[in-house]
Amino acid sequence: MKTEIRNYYSAVFEQEWPAWLAGILIAIIALMVFLWQSPWGIAAGYHNWGDWFYYLTGAFDERPLNSWLHPVSLSDAGILIGAFASALMARQFKIRPAPKLEYAKGLVGGILMGSGAAMAKGCNVGGFFSAVAMMSAGGFAMMIGLGAGAWVGLRYLLWEMEHLPSRAVYSKPKNETTSKAVDWLKIQPYLGGLVAIGVIVVFYVYAFFDKTQLGGWLFFGFLIGLVMHRSRFCFVRAFRDPFMTGEAKMVKAVAISIIIYFAGASVIKWAYLQEPAMGVYHPFVLGCSIGGFIFGIGMLLAGGCASSTLWRVGEGQTKLMVTLVTFTLANSLTSKFLLVSGLGEKLGKDIFLPDVLTWQITVPLVLAFFLAWVLVAMWNEETEKFVVF
Amino acid sequence: MNLENIQSNSVVDTRGLTCPMPLLKTKKALKGMASGEILEILGTDPGSKKDLPDFGNKGGNQFVGMLDASEGHTRYFIKKG
Repeated sequence: MKTEIRNYYSAVFEQEWPAWLAGILIAIIALMVFLWQSPWGIAAGYHNWGDWFYYLTGAFDERPLNSWLHPVSLSDAGILIGAFASALMARQFKIRPAPKLEYAKGLVGGILMGSGAAMAKGCNVGGFFSAVAMMSAGGFAMMIGLGAGAWVGLRYLLWEMEHLPSRAVYSKPKNETTSKAVDWLKIQPYLGGLVAIGVIVVFYVYAFFDKTQLGGWLFFGFLIGLVMHRSRFCFVRAFRDPFMTGEAKMVKAVAISIIIYFAGASVIKWAYLQEPAMGVYHPFVLGCSIGGFIFGIGMLLAGGCASSTLWRVGEGQTKLMVTLVTFTLANSLTSKFLLVSGLGEKLGKDIFLPDVLTWQITVPLVLAFFLAWVLVAMWNEETEKFVVF
Repeated sequence: MNLENIQSNSVVDTRGLTCPMPLLKTKKALKGMASGEILEILGTDPGSKKDLPDFGNKGGNQFVGMLDASEGHTRYFIKKG
């Protein structure tokens, strides 16, 4: 019995989950979030945190919404906490240092992603993943921008390997603390369990104060963080791997996820369970394509997008902690600049595809588009036609 | 094959580096090696534990195995095909 429980624990909390399973689970949770209130996003939470920084330093006059009352801020915190709990339960949590050049890349990557997400009015989740599922034309423009940016970012990494080699960095365990280190490894899963219980308690606290919907955002974020960390689900890889190794695994996982999310969202919208145009606010075509391009370069430099920055911070990656800070600051500042200068209005307007193409054409067209993405990625995996290295 | 005593022909140190640098450096190092030679990769990124075995078995190469070292990093071995 004890062995069986240990085996189950290992299968669920220690061994890596397949990417396709994570894709399905993320789509289901995203649909729950959509039904709960509105489509899932991430950058709006970063925006809120950045606004607070500028408000507290006197740069912005307007007081932002309290972060614990901001739905996306709560789901972002949930993702980070979910990944932290998952890393603890897998005995993988560790403060992980990086070489200096990696910190510089994390910093610049965060700035580029924050600015790109501001232009596109969404990151790889709100501007692409949720946007295409919600049938926003901007989501497809951002997808193309992300692909082009990933290609440029990869070319930079190849150049860097030749010209700016990093010195390896790692923290060697100290001999005198060996017994303590062993204890820490034993304690980690219990701490992870406590964190999970803590999130559930906080949800009930929100419910107690008639804020159940907000508590739900934290809880759903927690589930997403857990799934993403357990599977190391990474949107960046879906755009990078076809150029780097030719591997199509993450393209398939992201495409499966989008197809399920899109199919579910179509039913919900077409049946008027939610407002049909909900989640469609992306500036098509300039804002999404240029923003996606800038974001794509940034995610290659940082080694994480908006979502994987959060879950990698949750497992203790210090480089991505730098990215998280610069992403929030750049996103808030660029959004403000686009608003004040009026430039934001010139980047395009939101387009709900069924308004232009009708429902009857939009649904099969979107499905065919993502199936084609998978087929091209599989063909590239065999032929390596798009592999640049 | 006993990984403790394996003789590698080349070593790539990716300790402290995160995705995708360990994979990129591995791919670059393999390109410069002769068939049958063994590449050893030192890494600390948890993602490498899945990425390197998957990649190591592609393109005619063979992932030989991995070993957690007492110094806190993992040693990976790939045989060039």
